[in-house]
Amino acid sequence: MSSIYLDHAATTPIRSEVREGMIAILDGDFGNPSSAHGWGRRAAAHLEDARQRVAEAIGADRSEIYFVRGGTESDNMAILGHAEAVRRQGGTPFAVVSAVEHKAVLGAAAEVGERGGRWSTVPVYADGTLDMDALDTALAAGASIVSVMTVNNEVGIRLPIKAVVERTQDHGAVFHTDAVQALGKIPVSVEDLPVDLLSLTGHKIYGAKGTGVLFVRRGVDITPLIFGGGQEQALRPGTEDVAGAVGMSIAVDLAVQEQESEAVRLRGLCDLLQSRLEDGIADLRVHGDVPNRAPHILNVGIPNVDPEALLAALDLEGIAASAGSACESGAQTASHVLLALYGRLEGVAALRFSPGHSTTEDDVIRAAEATMRVLERMPHVGARA
Amino acid sequence: MSGGVDSSVAAALLVEQGYDVVGATMKTFCYSGGGGEAPSKTCCGLDGITDARRVSDALGIPHYVFDVEEAFTRDVIDDFVSEYARGRTPNPCVRCNSNTKFKDLMKRGRLLGCDGIASGHYVRIDHSNVSAPALYRGVDTSKDQSYFLWGLPKEMLHLLHFPLGDLTKRQVREQARALGLVTADKPESQEICFVPTGNYRDLLEKRLEARHPALEPGLIIAGDGEVLGEHSGYANFTLGQRKGLGGGFGQPLYVIEIRADSREVVVGTAEEGASHGVEIGEVNWLTTPPPDDSPIHVQIRYRASAVPARVHSTDGSVTLAFDEPQRAVTPGQSAVFFEDERVLGGGRIERALVTAKSCQ
Repeated sequence: MSSIYLDHAATTPIRSEVREGMIAILDGDFGNPSSAHGWGRRAAAHLEDARQRVAEAIGADRSEIYFVRGGTESDNMAILGHAEAVRRQGGTPFAVVSAVEHKAVLGAAAEVGERGGRWSTVPVYADGTLDMDALDTALAAGASIVSVMTVNNEVGIRLPIKAVVERTQDHGAVFHTDAVQALGKIPVSVEDLPVDLLSLTGHKIYGAKGTGVLFVRRGVDITPLIFGGGQEQALRPGTEDVAGAVGMSIAVDLAVQEQESEAVRLRGLCDLLQSRLEDGIADLRVHGDVPNRAPHILNVGIPNVDPEALLAALDLEGIAASAGSACESGAQTASHVLLALYGRLEGVAALRFSPGHSTTEDDVIRAAEATMRVLERMPHVGARA
Repeated sequence: MSGGVDSSVAAALLVEQGYDVVGATMKTFCYSGGGGEAPSKTCCGLDGITDARRVSDALGIPHYVFDVEEAFTRDVIDDFVSEYARGRTPNPCVRCNSNTKFKDLMKRGRLLGCDGIASGHYVRIDHSNVSAPALYRGVDTSKDQSYFLWGLPKEMLHLLHFPLGDLTKRQVREQARALGLVTADKPESQEICFVPTGNYRDLLEKRLEARHPALEPGLIIAGDGEVLGEHSGYANFTLGQRKGLGGGFGQPLYVIEIRADSREVVVGTAEEGASHGVEIGEVNWLTTPPPDDSPIHVQIRYRASAVPARVHSTDGSVTLAFDEPQRAVTPGQSAVFFEDERVLGGGRIERALVTAKSCQ
């Protein structure tokens, strides 16, 4: 039996356009963009074309796009880089982040605290709303940066970043959003939404791992985290990964071009999967079940089931899903996102399915059937007759 | 699969024998922060998980990590701490095998559709009598782990496989090298997995309330009450221990009793520390319990031979009368019952019986 990959929110395969674009650089124009000779000039041209492509895709200016080595680096550069800029101007950095952020943002914010600044989290509710009073309190207390993700990676809820941007900027603080799960799934434009900083990664949109972008709106002050040469306007020194940048730019460009049609298709697949699971599992819950959630993530809860055994059993059936975010050791620990949204879910196994480009209706139907088959072995499940 | 060489080879042998094998590693305590100690060590740690995954991948079998931290903390670590707090010397590996590891693996294995559980322990199991599988010592006497497995639930025996029981450690390493397993030359893990530094006192200090009597100074006394010196906490001592008492007593002295109530550590000569019998609790029989006054062999320490004794069963506990007096009968340690090589059962030593009369 062939396996079915339903974990595109964890990572995606590389699409052929990206691979071909990268190989052309790796095999051909391998030069160092800083070199003065022809090889260098050709590499520099590819790099700047790539920058242009990303800028146009998200409505930015070319000078506002920085190529970095992935989403975590992008989030860290935004939050810690801004904190350091605040500190150098004599202020006390204060990072305020939503409680459902990715670990890359939570970790960076905690590090602001470690380095003598402050940080706090703002609650997010099960209906996808953010505690605006808590946000206002933090802003009044001197928040220097607010970071709220565009789409949550575990449950797919869209956060109300438009409202948060306005309040944040009214208070003179800087706004960052981790848009890693949003690009290609919902419209992402820094023209329509005046965010100050925005993070993207390549490997969730059929690009390569280790590629990413940080958008920094002109005039926003960020201090580099590492130091060296003048690459990427000295914000991210080190010889540029031209192939990575080109691959990233193709991935971003295509993701944005295909967003509308892909969103409809992915929504359809998630809805089909949800209805099949609901038909078979009487006590199924849907996490992040709000009308405007992103189209590519379905997170369900099944009470009285051992989550680790469920995932392992699904894997043995050839179904790749996830319990939330992938943990480094492979063990599943309680999700801080579900904890923030629903409190402690005692004995509930959470399963995240995220279809992608290659997923068909047949795939999700088979995944639903496999889930039901596996649950028949598990005690205390309310399977419908 | 701990990520050590034994479980790696056990898995490889099963694959070779044509079994449909699923690898599993139990995450027993937190390695990356909070309660854990050093993040890297031979077994059990993240290193172990990574190696177990690499070996599984090389063998072409799936591998899963099961988080049993909560149960392990409750059943093994908390017990370890409270035993030392009572002046006893626990066997955490026995607790883990009896309460945590096999039970949890069985439960999860069933959910995955598995028919049995295998481990890399050096013991043998004979399934030829289907209704009464028999557990035996491993062939490699220097590695035999039967001392740690007496607490297995009897009704689970028919599901267990121990592929290394007929092999020596040397053969296991050779096999691992022949298969090119990344764990082939990994060093032995010597310490308790949740005390990788070997210094369990740190753990006790972390987990016992401040100024717990077990870690407070007390007196070292002789059997007649004479004060011989001071110690810095009775949790540092185990029965039969000679080291750490200071010298100059004329003849070798051993710890013969730990009195938690008065924080006194009693020392005496080898003869003074000898017991005629032992009272054993939490008894688990892997066979039909033998009739009263039956002769059996009992092993009272991991590194000790089994000695002849006679068994007296009562409700819930067992009393044994040794044929010859035994030194260092240590409360908290296991007493494992044998008939030749076969493991009959075992229990936890509750107390030494000093006189022959008290054994009846």
